Amino acid sequence: MARTPEEILEEARKLVGTETPLRRAPYPVEYDPIRRTCHMVSDRNPLFLDPEYAKKTKYGAVISPPAMVNYFSGRGAWPHSMMESMISVPTAGDRAINLTVETEWFKPVKVGDWLSEKHRLADVYIKAIRLDPKAFWVVQERIISNQDGEVVCIERNTSLRHRTPEQIAEAGG
Amino acid sequence: MAVREQVYWEDVKEGEEIPGFVLPITETQIALQVSGSQDFYPVHHDRAFARSGGHPDIFVNTGFMRACFSRLMTDFVGDEGWLDRFSMQMRRMNRPGDEMALKGVIKRKYIDEKGKHKLDLDVWAENQREGQTTVCEGTVTLPSRS
Repeated sequence: MARTPEEILEEARKLVGTETPLRRAPYPVEYDPIRRTCHMVSDRNPLFLDPEYAKKTKYGAVISPPAMVNYFSGRGAWPHSMMESMISVPTAGDRAINLTVETEWFKPVKVGDWLSEKHRLADVYIKAIRLDPKAFWVVQERIISNQDGEVVCIERNTSLRHRTPEQIAEAGG
Repeated sequence: MAVREQVYWEDVKEGEEIPGFVLPITETQIALQVSGSQDFYPVHHDRAFARSGGHPDIFVNTGFMRACFSRLMTDFVGDEGWLDRFSMQMRRMNRPGDEMALKGVIKRKYIDEKGKHKLDLDVWAENQREGQTTVCEGTVTLPSRS
């Protein structure tokens, strides 16, 4: 017999406070992913795109857009899974939506830097949403540091996992 | 490339709007979203998958929205400024066919306990279908003329 969302939550809550080991990204901060992300939102900031321009600024080199720091600290989408380095939390549904992202940046990240990250499960609970009366809300933190061991960024992400309408009907709500 | 114009803390006041921009969410923008974010979760590009989960359509992902807010605030603070933090909440979807606009206003202007010249900003994304879809509040540091 399938477990109820409440039973799954009980198991998930045992992981609250769990922290992963610090893990170095497979690649350093590189130019081309920055160019692709800037292209995505038509961001023409020369600090991110133009090595000659950036050299003459206080940074002395191209820097990563703030929103990309977690990209460079992570494992990438392939051949690894983006979720691989995160804490795997059991939930009733497997459909995911990000809701709130809070991020602080402390130091610039330059092309050639090599980042590491660790994750911490801060909270998990059930709260109804329009799509699922027993959606799981998962709060994870990511601490990102550079090759000198300096914390450059901290992120707190609240996402939810929900069931499909068919799964909800099958479970009787 | 010429050095960009720099805004200073003394030049702005509370209640002022910061420069925004518009991004139409086209099918090409969806392809750029996958390329730029490397987020291959199908709810952001596969209509059948999105609809099977109860959504009316695909919608742009977190990385896309983060990059939009990052662009808005880093363009505003210029080469000498710094984006300290932001917190964004995705309340409604931005999906193909939407004309998404990014806007912002200066909520608070102050000098912090370390003597840094700060602004708190309210920024948001809106579209013609739903009004505000993603709200965000951020803090930036600007250079001072003093």
